[in-house]
Amino acid sequence: MPNVNTRVFFSKTDRAKYISHLDLYRVFQRALIKSKLPVWYTEGFNPHLYIQFMLPLSLGQEGIREAADFKLTENVPYEEVTQRLNSGLPLDLRIIETTCPVMKNTDITQAEYEIQAELNIDKFREFAKSEKILVEKKTKNGVSEVDLKPNISKLEIGDKIILRLPAGNNFNLNPSLLFEAYEKFSEEKIKRLKIVRTNIYNQNGEIFR
Amino acid sequence: MYRNDEMMKKLDEFLPDVQKPSRYIGGESGSVVKDRENVDIRFAFCFPDTYEIGMSHLGMKILYGLKNKVPNYWCERVFMPLPDMEEKMRENGVLLYALESLDPIRDFDFIGFTVQYELCYTTILEMLDLAGLPVLAKERTSLTPIVMGGGPCCCNAEPLADFFDIFAIGEGEEMNLEVMRLMEECKKNGSSKAEFLEKAAQIEGIYVPSLYDISYNDDGTVKAITAKKNAPEKVKKRIVKDFDSVYSPENFVVPFTDIVHNRAVVEVLRGCIRGCRFCQAGFIYRPFREKKSETVLRQTKTLCENTGYDEVSLSSLSTSDFSDIEGLLSTLTDYTSKNRINLSLPSLRVDRFSEKIFEEISSVRKSGLTFAPEAGTQRLRDVINKNITESDVLNSVKIAFEGGYNAIKLYFMLGLPTETNEDIRGIYSLAKAVIEEFYNNPNRKKGKAPSVSISLSTFIPKPFTPFEFEPQASEEEIKAKQKLIMEICVDKKISISRSKYDVSLLEAVLARGDRRVGKAIYLAWKKGCVLDGWDEYFDFGKWKEAFFECGLEMEFYANRKRSYDEISPWSHINMLVSHEFFVEENKRAHSGITTPNCREKCADCGVIRNIGADCCKRI
Repeated sequence: MPNVNTRVFFSKTDRAKYISHLDLYRVFQRALIKSKLPVWYTEGFNPHLYIQFMLPLSLGQEGIREAADFKLTENVPYEEVTQRLNSGLPLDLRIIETTCPVMKNTDITQAEYEIQAELNIDKFREFAKSEKILVEKKTKNGVSEVDLKPNISKLEIGDKIILRLPAGNNFNLNPSLLFEAYEKFSEEKIKRLKIVRTNIYNQNGEIFR
Repeated sequence: MYRNDEMMKKLDEFLPDVQKPSRYIGGESGSVVKDRENVDIRFAFCFPDTYEIGMSHLGMKILYGLKNKVPNYWCERVFMPLPDMEEKMRENGVLLYALESLDPIRDFDFIGFTVQYELCYTTILEMLDLAGLPVLAKERTSLTPIVMGGGPCCCNAEPLADFFDIFAIGEGEEMNLEVMRLMEECKKNGSSKAEFLEKAAQIEGIYVPSLYDISYNDDGTVKAITAKKNAPEKVKKRIVKDFDSVYSPENFVVPFTDIVHNRAVVEVLRGCIRGCRFCQAGFIYRPFREKKSETVLRQTKTLCENTGYDEVSLSSLSTSDFSDIEGLLSTLTDYTSKNRINLSLPSLRVDRFSEKIFEEISSVRKSGLTFAPEAGTQRLRDVINKNITESDVLNSVKIAFEGGYNAIKLYFMLGLPTETNEDIRGIYSLAKAVIEEFYNNPNRKKGKAPSVSISLSTFIPKPFTPFEFEPQASEEEIKAKQKLIMEICVDKKISISRSKYDVSLLEAVLARGDRRVGKAIYLAWKKGCVLDGWDEYFDFGKWKEAFFECGLEMEFYANRKRSYDEISPWSHINMLVSHEFFVEENKRAHSGITTPNCREKCADCGVIRNIGADCCKRI
């Protein structure tokens, strides 16, 4: 692993929410090539441009503070990195800020989501009060049953739903699980569901930097 | 910048549930979005296949860029959704839309299809239907949208004549803008569709099928083709004379998802000097024209810098026929290697495959190499005018083996005119000789075995080739030939793959079909045929039913020997190469006489007589 020295925070919204995690690498790679920034390539037989994304975002979900790391081999002012990268990225992917990494990607333990859903709000409030919210979570080893309830560290129900769930390499829960469980509970089909990841946090609830 | 928000909202409801949704939503970098208010003419450029295939097509990128350069014209992309997406669209009442604006293409001025291969015909119908339009041209009565076709299959557009309003014959760069200008005028004047069509027919290269009456003889052949309303008796193919300064895209729409050819592509030459008698492209894209080396280098740099691609390929029918190929490659590799860009060169001929060329490209990656001897014996290669020898093949293979390759793929056709069992055995002998060449290399890596894959396709006679008169071999004949080679092939290092006869038969029928075949295409589509080029969707049974129901025989179109004086369904189209030349070449084929390539000696094919001697000057 190289010593990354550059961290970008970016938004992935609108049409870009349909870019898969795998394709996102290619999109950034091309934007970096176009930017002509002095980016570090891996060494070895088949050198490639090194970028690391912090936390995959499910296809169809938006994010307004996603993070990626790479390494620059020369000093370039952060403002300029932002600008040059943005000119090569598709419109719905925008770099918001370029910084120096403070925390490690393994520090990420939680993420917050802002959700707009067309559903019966009273019914949803009732559902949220359930003692247990059992969902099926797909993992590498098959399907396992998880209780969402104790894992929800924040849930505000209003015009929008604010939800905070475990996130990161060790234990990650997709917010769509909550709504799948609600559909089962209410026998209501949610017509529109817009999920936006608004931020990521570390163990202590500090914003990931 | 405009976007149809209502459509976006609708799509958001089901896009997460379809496979690879990013191909249905646009928004890629390089895509051109305009302000709808300031646009006068809208063009939906449709590729009748999937996004992955269509996005790899250079012609679309050229015409897309060219039209969008005009401030008040907006050209957008449209592809065929796969069944999971199409089902969702129909379920939710979503009409086929263009990827840039997300507007339904029904409301556009032009719906243009590039027709690259015969097996996409039903997909065209499906796309029109999904757009909410009648598939039959006569049922679309308003001025817009005009459904337009272009691309190689349009040299015999007759099977598609019922569905299209106009066809562009030849190179589209100038014609497309001319018909768009005409439309601009017609919209201002409130002209009718009929008025537009009559005027369009006056543009050189534009073929308006409804202005031609076709009559037939009792034996089913064409009796006469009659032009109406001042339409030209013969529609003459358009070409771009000054090829070096022809529009070349400075940027590509770079897809999010992976596609078949995900790289920058620079066109280096058009046309082909070779004259292989089976090859339609070799004749319909004449004359041979090439760009200057510095033009190619400049365009390569621009494109790589604007797209961020780390791979570029040179495009042409035969890149090694570029006059100064070695000079071009060394200039290009100077640039590409400095910028970590891979250069790939498809379409190399074995007789021009030098060590120098090999060195320039071998830095890319060492997988397999493909060569196309097409026929197994020198006799048959002479018949088809392939003009390469066994030693050419072996010499190339030798260079490849010495360069570290060990897998070679060889392309052959079965069912070529005059083919005998001797020629079939020749295929196997050639493959054996390739294997031997591997072991002749003293520096070969120990413990590595060579492999040769033979790919056998079935010969399909195409219009505007010397073989347009030839019958396609019958299913029995092809099966017997396939069986023979399978029986003699005992070497485990040689593998053989065969193409399906049904597919080749249908392709042959559609390629040389007349206007009546349109009915069969319509019926096949009604029965559910779509994406026929995909094994998993191809349903030959339905096609057979369709032909039977409209009283047409596939054999009449595919397996019949046509006389030189028969009026072909495409005889009102002038592709610049003369009928007399094709007859002469056909006779030479049957006598086993080769014809030198254009660089060695002008064969008087008709191009110079049609458009003047200066067109072939740089050959």
